[in-house]
Amino acid sequence: MEISEIIHEQSYTRQIIENKNSYYGFYNAGSMSEFDVIVVGAGPAGASAAIKLASAKANVLLVDRADPPGSKNVSGGVLWGDSLSQVAPDWEKGPVERYVEAKGVSFLTKDSRISIDFRSKKFGEYKSGYTVLRTKFDAWLAKKAKDSGAMVVSGVTVDRLSMKDGKVIGVEQGGETITSDAVILAEGANSRIAIDSGIKKKPSDRNIALGIKEVIKLPEKTITDRFGLSSAKMGFASEYVLGFLEGGVRAGGFLYTNKESLSIGAVISMGDLRKNNQTYSFNIIEQFKEHPFIAPLLEGGRVEEYSAHLVPEGGLTVDSIYGKGYMIAGDAAGFTFSNGLVLQGMNYAVVSGIVAADSFLQRKEKGIEAGANFSNYMDNLSGTFVMKDMKNFKGVDAVTWSKSIHQTIPAIAEEAMLNIFSENGEPKKHMLKILLKSMAGRKESKKELAVDLYRMMRRL
Amino acid sequence: MKIEERLSLLNYKIDKSYEHITVNPSICETCPDHFCTFACPAKCYSLIDKKLNFKYEDCVECGTCDTACSHGSVAWTNTKGGHGVKYKFG
Repeated sequence: MEISEIIHEQSYTRQIIENKNSYYGFYNAGSMSEFDVIVVGAGPAGASAAIKLASAKANVLLVDRADPPGSKNVSGGVLWGDSLSQVAPDWEKGPVERYVEAKGVSFLTKDSRISIDFRSKKFGEYKSGYTVLRTKFDAWLAKKAKDSGAMVVSGVTVDRLSMKDGKVIGVEQGGETITSDAVILAEGANSRIAIDSGIKKKPSDRNIALGIKEVIKLPEKTITDRFGLSSAKMGFASEYVLGFLEGGVRAGGFLYTNKESLSIGAVISMGDLRKNNQTYSFNIIEQFKEHPFIAPLLEGGRVEEYSAHLVPEGGLTVDSIYGKGYMIAGDAAGFTFSNGLVLQGMNYAVVSGIVAADSFLQRKEKGIEAGANFSNYMDNLSGTFVMKDMKNFKGVDAVTWSKSIHQTIPAIAEEAMLNIFSENGEPKKHMLKILLKSMAGRKESKKELAVDLYRMMRRL
Repeated sequence: MKIEERLSLLNYKIDKSYEHITVNPSICETCPDHFCTFACPAKCYSLIDKKLNFKYEDCVECGTCDTACSHGSVAWTNTKGGHGVKYKFG
């Protein structure tokens, strides 16, 4: 079925045909567009935008190419912060998995694990995050959008943006144009529409990484006990530097607890994988799973799902996040954050979606013309943590993907720890001496390490 | 766990009338690296008798191959009509 038929059918069944001259009957005065806003992509960015717009009585079409909406969406799995409460105050009662009460960061070498395992009673006062499984969670969010009054169409793939005189006037699908005063493009990291419409370049090795994940089923109680969690509602989330991989391919790992499953995955450098050209991407996660300090955590588990998704890296992936008649939100714009300690994307998606919606409403208040330039989106976003983080942590990927973080520091730390904690009947040495000795055995230049350490101080 | 076994866990609604990714065999024939075979997480690209074999049916629509192929062989489009991979968890 083409999109226009679906829209007509939905309009009819929902009895919102008020204007006999129109199938749609819900456009704003002065505009000839069928919709105020078409939101492409029902992830956290798109759904948040749609909820916000529909709640303000704008006429919104939220279209997702998956059916049910969200069933092609993947993420590692922690939704940090509380931004979603702006559009869905009850989101914590939605299909969330566990509240993160324990946060880990580990370096893994071939034989060792060097970890920070942070647990705090204060995670009740300071918001951390919830683990989520996106297929369930995003369907729930799309339903919220529908309940707020947005039209939600799933299983329909938008072909490209519809352009007229250099302005976006809607979307094209199946040879037809559906018009709107604005399009919010929230199609995710693999942004075909933006690329095919000429507003985004194809990603390169530098600005994406490859995320591969598995969901591993385990009994609820086993998870709670194994990770030392205080209840079945509480969870553990950890990031790993995988410094032991064959062929020296750099990758980060993650392990999160859901109610009755674990989400485990690897985020792999495309550039390294290309340079190596003999390691299969799908085997890297297996190496991670088989690590002597990871395997026991997965014991008895059954793999239930395998998935893969691109991860935007190193800041904005588009030249401009707005233009005439459109705004880009979420992963499609490159709104993700990683400093090695934490991996975030969904909260950035939510905020950018909401700000895009606000920016439309702001323009509408002043009487919007089809194809208006949404420069106010950038202005409004600049005041939020989304753009501030993008700016303040620009270049952080040079640190998180550095050889020092992935190989040199873990190796030095491992040797130093072995020296400190093993008793060999010799007099003990001072810490500094141990560190210098550990460093001396490395072939990497001290200069390289010093440069990376300096970058770390500046950028982390 | 073998990749084939992991892929067999997935649900797909396969579009028999539309291949959303196509490759240009004449480019692949002279490709010096076949990086796609290492990059694709769903093993859609493999070498059989030194010839590149591509199957779109196992694709999880991540978009990796479009960036991986630096020789312009991959033509990537979205699946249509709700076809393709359908995750249970995501």
